[in-house]
Amino acid sequence: MEIEGYLKKDYITNLVKQDKREDARKFDEHRKILVDNDYVKDKAPGSCFVQLGKTKVLAGISIAVGEPFSDRPNDGVMSTSTELRPMASPRFESGPPNDESIEIARVIDRGIREAGAIDTKKLLIEDNLVWIVFIDIHVLDHDGNLIDAGGIAAMSALLNTRLPKYEDGKIIYGEYSGKLPINCVPIPCTTAKIGKNLLVDPSLNEEYAMDARLTVATTDIINAMQKGGTGSFNEEEIMACVDAAFEQGNKIRKMLSTD
Amino acid sequence: MSGNGDVVLIKDGKRLDGRDFDELRDIKMEVSVLERAAGSAYVEWGKNKVMVGVYGPRELHPKFLQDPTKAMLRCVYNLAPFSVDDRKKPGPDRRSVEISKVTSEALSSVVMLERFPNTVVDVFIEILQADAGTRCAGLTAASLALADAGIPMKDLIASCSAGKIQGQVVVDLMKEEDNFGECDLPMAIIPKKGEVVLLQMDGKLSRDEFKDAYKLAYDGCMKIYDLQRKTLMDSMKKFVGEGGIENGD
Amino acid sequence: MLNVKDRDLIVPGDLLGSDILPDMNCYMEGGNVYSAVEGLVRVDGRKIKVVPSSGGYIPKRDDVVIGVIMDVLTGKWLVDINSPYICAMSGEEVSRDAAKTDLSRYYKVGDILTAKIGSVNEVYSCQLMKPWKIENGLIIDVNPKRVPRVVGKQKSMLNMIREKTGARIIVGQNGKIWIKDGNVDLAVKTIKKIEKYAQTQGLTDQIAEFLDKESRGNPIKPSYHINESED
Repeated sequence: MEIEGYLKKDYITNLVKQDKREDARKFDEHRKILVDNDYVKDKAPGSCFVQLGKTKVLAGISIAVGEPFSDRPNDGVMSTSTELRPMASPRFESGPPNDESIEIARVIDRGIREAGAIDTKKLLIEDNLVWIVFIDIHVLDHDGNLIDAGGIAAMSALLNTRLPKYEDGKIIYGEYSGKLPINCVPIPCTTAKIGKNLLVDPSLNEEYAMDARLTVATTDIINAMQKGGTGSFNEEEIMACVDAAFEQGNKIRKMLSTD
Repeated sequence: MSGNGDVVLIKDGKRLDGRDFDELRDIKMEVSVLERAAGSAYVEWGKNKVMVGVYGPRELHPKFLQDPTKAMLRCVYNLAPFSVDDRKKPGPDRRSVEISKVTSEALSSVVMLERFPNTVVDVFIEILQADAGTRCAGLTAASLALADAGIPMKDLIASCSAGKIQGQVVVDLMKEEDNFGECDLPMAIIPKKGEVVLLQMDGKLSRDEFKDAYKLAYDGCMKIYDLQRKTLMDSMKKFVGEGGIENGD
Repeated sequence: MLNVKDRDLIVPGDLLGSDILPDMNCYMEGGNVYSAVEGLVRVDGRKIKVVPSSGGYIPKRDDVVIGVIMDVLTGKWLVDINSPYICAMSGEEVSRDAAKTDLSRYYKVGDILTAKIGSVNEVYSCQLMKPWKIENGLIIDVNPKRVPRVVGKQKSMLNMIREKTGARIIVGQNGKIWIKDGNVDLAVKTIKKIEKYAQTQGLTDQIAEFLDKESRGNPIKPSYHINESED
């Protein structure tokens, strides 16, 4: 842990005991979310820059063609990765993905994949040739709750992704044949447990102080869950996290639009 | 989770292997199976075969990772290349890195790490044969191996999964159910407190279905816990000379 | 109120009782006392403890340990004592002017010694004192948590093994036991048996019987003691 962790833990824990948060939010309130679609539109067919409070992430979509998986010969392929760029935190280092970035990528991936958000059935080009959708999430400034920020950015980017033109066995970059088909909009919502309290969308300082967190990705049903941290949840707390996820998910879904 | 509706997973109210919806696969557990490790365990769970070795507390290198307030619990979950139908490329992949992380977090919730500052407790989980539910089997075995190593912990960790197949919520998915089912929900609990320390889920579950699946997984964990206790109790029989001291060894 | 009886076997997390005093290997939560390890419950009046069935060695003041020199520095040695924590030993133990002395004249890297733990701080950095070099003989491993039974009450078990095997034995609390001279084989066999059946009731008598039976026909050489740091 950075020394910041030791320095902030007590302060936050005591604040939460008094039913307060450092930025005066309510426990069930997200930080302000700013969504900037097509942030790198000259190159990427889809992208979205999201600020969740002071956390900044940029999701970019790349599209390629390739072979489908042998057990799903008619389905397109999606792949998600997260990079914790060194500029985002003194704790992050260059190099191959570590367990933290892999977890973030896989949780975001599960939400999108299991909900069937991308209509992969419509991504067949011809026999044994499908569209491959790469979701790359760049974390640029880490002020907590990277899963939610990354998940929102990825989903918003997908909603605004264009499919390139494909002619004579080649992708024509810069020209588009239509939009990436999207079925639904899964949104992850992370709740931190500090002492006995549950706080939606923890900031970095709150993450230092939290015992455990639970991420729930929802559409109209639950699509993915991930518990993290070394603490524990009881059933009542888990259901509270699930309900918070449905509520926050609905709010955030309304913010994301297709142009 | 493909939710492939074409594959029949439930026939005449029973599952493919003849189990009821709330029935676990056959499970065997054993501890102290390795000579050199501080503690070890072997779990057979249906067709899963899992071995765990624990080392430590021991000196942690590199030094900058040392924490003067507590020990580090480091988990390595490894799927053997021959454990699955299609050979798995050796070495860590994204899936095993994630499982290692959530497993070590789950174990850290009970192990009294503050008693061993600056050290590391290493938990090596080897999946020798895999047939769905390996992270639950691995975590269950890891908790046994830690107890076997005599590392102080507040409680054991018991783990079990639930899921949904053909619209029916069931406990402890096997491979076919995992492949063609609609949802998988691995879970682990601290039995004494009844609190959840590992919870993952992917697939499709409504709020009510989740509550049912939670209950099935929870009850499954409690059954696992009973088996774990019995295994550890049996392992200590020689320690107290139950059955007499054998001569000649 | 007790939830268990004396000599019950228990596993981590088992409830031992409430309104009792937790001793070794227990912890308290919400007024209840639970076990932190697997092992054997011992009740002593209102005090309750758990004798663990296994576990590593954590340095404790006044323990006699057996270790290996890992490094020779200016004025001190570093010693590995089979624990997660490396021990230091001051050159003052052998020389008044340690800083100016070449300490490898006394102990060099790889030398084996027995010594007493003088002090331990809260992160288990410790100091060794009164070293004695060990040469020749056999060193065997015993689970550190089962070492106390090899020694026995007032060293009863250890003295019995010494007497009946004629072996010289130094028991390190860190799970390393040095054996030399006399019937080494029998001493090893006996110690391994004690380790395996550590908490058997009436173990001393059964071990005495075993030793008598095994040593019949093997005349025992007289044993002698080497110095204070033995055992």
